[in-house]
Amino acid sequence: MSVFSGVVGLAIKIALLAVVNGVAVWGGTVLASDEKWFALAVLVAATLAIDLIYLSPRRAIPLKFLVPGTVFLIAFQIVPIVYNVNVGFTNWSTGHILVKSEAIAGIQRNSLGPPPDGAAYSMAPARNADGNLVLLLVDDTTGEQFVGSEDGLEPLGRDSLKLGEFGTIETPPSGYTLVTGAELLRLDTELSRFTVPTESGAIRSEGTEAALELAPTLRYDRVRDTFTRIEDGTTFRDNSKGAFVAAGGEELEPGWRTNIGLANFSAVLTDPLIREPFLRVFLWTLVFAASIVLVSFALGLFLAIVLNKPTLRFRRGYQVVLIVPYALPAFLAVLVWGGLLNDDFGVVNNALHTNIPWLFDPWWARVSVIAVSVWLTVPYFLLVSLGALQSIPSELVEAARVDGGGPFAILRRVTLPLLLVVVAPLMIASFALNFNNFVNIYLLTAGGPPSDDQSVAGATDILITYTYKLAFEAGKGNDFGLACAVSIFIFMIVASISGAAFWKTGSLENVR
Amino acid sequence: MQSLSKRTIGVLVVIAAVLVTMLVVAGPTAAAAETKIRVWTDKDRKAAVEKVVGAWAASKGLSVEVLEKDFGKIRDDLKTVQPESAPDVIIGAHDWTGQLAADGLVLPLFPTKATRAQFPSYALSAFSYGTAVTRLYAAPVALENIALVVNTKLVKVPKTFAEFQASALAFKKKANGNLAVAVPQGAAGDAYHMYPFFSGLGGYVFGRNKAGNLDPSDIGVANKTFLSNASQIDAWNKSGFLNSKIDYGVAKDSFLKGKAAFWITGPWEADTLRTSKLSYKIVQVPSNKFKSVPFLGVQGFMVTKFATTHGLESAAKDLVGSYMMRPDGQAALAAANGRFPANMVAGKAVKNPLLAQFGKAGVGGVPMPNIPQMSSVWSDLASAWVKSTKGSGASKARTAFATAARNIANKIG
Repeated sequence: MSVFSGVVGLAIKIALLAVVNGVAVWGGTVLASDEKWFALAVLVAATLAIDLIYLSPRRAIPLKFLVPGTVFLIAFQIVPIVYNVNVGFTNWSTGHILVKSEAIAGIQRNSLGPPPDGAAYSMAPARNADGNLVLLLVDDTTGEQFVGSEDGLEPLGRDSLKLGEFGTIETPPSGYTLVTGAELLRLDTELSRFTVPTESGAIRSEGTEAALELAPTLRYDRVRDTFTRIEDGTTFRDNSKGAFVAAGGEELEPGWRTNIGLANFSAVLTDPLIREPFLRVFLWTLVFAASIVLVSFALGLFLAIVLNKPTLRFRRGYQVVLIVPYALPAFLAVLVWGGLLNDDFGVVNNALHTNIPWLFDPWWARVSVIAVSVWLTVPYFLLVSLGALQSIPSELVEAARVDGGGPFAILRRVTLPLLLVVVAPLMIASFALNFNNFVNIYLLTAGGPPSDDQSVAGATDILITYTYKLAFEAGKGNDFGLACAVSIFIFMIVASISGAAFWKTGSLENVR
Repeated sequence: MQSLSKRTIGVLVVIAAVLVTMLVVAGPTAAAAETKIRVWTDKDRKAAVEKVVGAWAASKGLSVEVLEKDFGKIRDDLKTVQPESAPDVIIGAHDWTGQLAADGLVLPLFPTKATRAQFPSYALSAFSYGTAVTRLYAAPVALENIALVVNTKLVKVPKTFAEFQASALAFKKKANGNLAVAVPQGAAGDAYHMYPFFSGLGGYVFGRNKAGNLDPSDIGVANKTFLSNASQIDAWNKSGFLNSKIDYGVAKDSFLKGKAAFWITGPWEADTLRTSKLSYKIVQVPSNKFKSVPFLGVQGFMVTKFATTHGLESAAKDLVGSYMMRPDGQAALAAANGRFPANMVAGKAVKNPLLAQFGKAGVGGVPMPNIPQMSSVWSDLASAWVKSTKGSGASKARTAFATAARNIANKIG
């Protein structure tokens, strides 16, 4: 029997299962404390199923191999897609991060401000003779001393308490004990909510050594779920898009995160900012991705055929050199290329004695981003082509040669069709990857140079970089909801192109 | 194999699982028992924050957890962090204020009148935000702005803009590869470093409404005065006074190698300048049609809403709104990354001539707008400069900036 059935195998199995169960129990406690009962049920069922599958000795052998793959498929493919779709239906963006109850508390807190002649105090939290929390207060301007309780302010004698350095209260009047150290930390929340009512508002603590009079400018009506501005009576209503808004359009901040239905998706189709440059950006994205794949494949195949010749000297050396770009971190290589291609100061123009605007002319910039991406992609196709060439039976090539085929005819009629069976799916994958190749574009040109056609999209912006600009460099900063909606559209485009390509290349397999 | 029955295996698994669970769950719970105030800060300031916050915490019987974060990530990470691991206090730049306050993630502060009097009013207003009434959201700690660094071995310090231009162009003609002004742009552009040229021609980003708050509907990127002066930019492009192909690396390198006599940069290059052995003077870009003022940046500490959740609101407000605003803490925190302290009392004690020169070059400057709509501005304003100063084939500045203004308005919506 294999290693998996020995004692070591059993130990590994038990250890892994234990980890799975441990994580599940921990996750279960979190879910239970958050009252997510449905998720908890799924977790329990899944964990039990995994335990059963791996503990039953014979029956479930195929499942033993399927389960890990399925779990990872769900974790890394399905969950992100579902999450993306969910966010796409929300207004999650700058100003809409919190939940509604937090937002209401935030609006109330922000509405508190010092009234025109509001007093400020040095403060020390203390307990009175009954053991209740009170604030000992010294007016910063008049020096008058008070005790503030939830019933209101009561004056103390002028020098009942003593101040130390920085105006802190150090000695309490008799009958009071200062609250300090660990006790003060325990009372932190109580202290931050403590209010001493006054005529124009209330005195609240500000930190642990100061207090001031604050009055609200807005009042919340719990029953009608509205805010009213005290000064002029303006009413702010829940606009069901995650904000309290007045009739005139004035909006209270913060808002909250909520479901806004298809608004993000319809924005993609109707917002002129997105719609107008869409076709141009989409076509360029197709050209960008397709030309990278085709040029890289052609170059990679050519180099592979050359390097496949056993008589070539220094073959290993060439291979190592050619694979270097693949081993470099892409973002580093792209940044270096950005410097090399600088129009006036770059090495490329200096060495060639040319004056080509590599990054500042729209068409040259497009050439540059494709060229740099090709430079990064060729080694990949070189590697797969080398491998695939080895797998083509040499009898077939011999037979073609005997039949009188020239080298090009052999390449076109024999090698290429057989090669494509292996390489075509990889080309489709590479196309999908380059379709969303954010790094290369963003680090080399940042989507630029800016175009003159009055649109936000630059000449080399592909869909994903344009999405980034719309979602994170427009409006008020971040618009996660819109970003998710657009990325779902991009996902559908890539999926349908790849799907069609796979279906088409399926016919290649008949070659064998 | 046969000696282990199915039941034994099952029992083993259950025991192991329980052990692992106890480890996983007990770890964080045990750590949470102790009250800790959590601060997010950047690498440069970590040691200083540990010292300053540590001294405060020791007097309160608290312990401190100072976490090092990439400065640029703090703002957005705060939006997605889980409450249990969220910070109570963060370091931040003043231009984050609008986004974080609109998100409801930071708490307003009310320092005493005496404390506020120790700060320049712009440093406080830079951290103040609100659509109707504004609130202060941070304790300002450090100030920064860009300035014109002049290599005094190569040229004289210019008094007027005409002198500046003539001297820069004369230097450029002296040798092949010389730059007139080393101001970084590159393919993506850099509206921040270009701001003195923009303000000198009458450009502004956002106007103010009657209440004195920034008004996102008043976009000054292509205001009438600026557009009527914009032909100067076309002339600068033609003469090579400005060139958008100069990026940060080229600008810095050229100045340090003596291939540029003028460099526009900020105090983050103070160490580079100090060790460069060049003779230099740091001044404000000379007045053009208007004063060529730079953007001002203020960094400070904010109390997050998570301090309330963690039961540390009063403590955190005491730390940030009172303790950190005192002169001694300010001096230590600002010195940690080589900036001028925001507290004027602490500022008086700073004997660093380099920082003093940078500070003087910022007089009259404009704090970068802190409203969230600012994120719609950067790339388009930068693009207008790139397009209009890229040498041959450049767009007319009038068109480029008008396009930028329209794009910005569209993006703000």
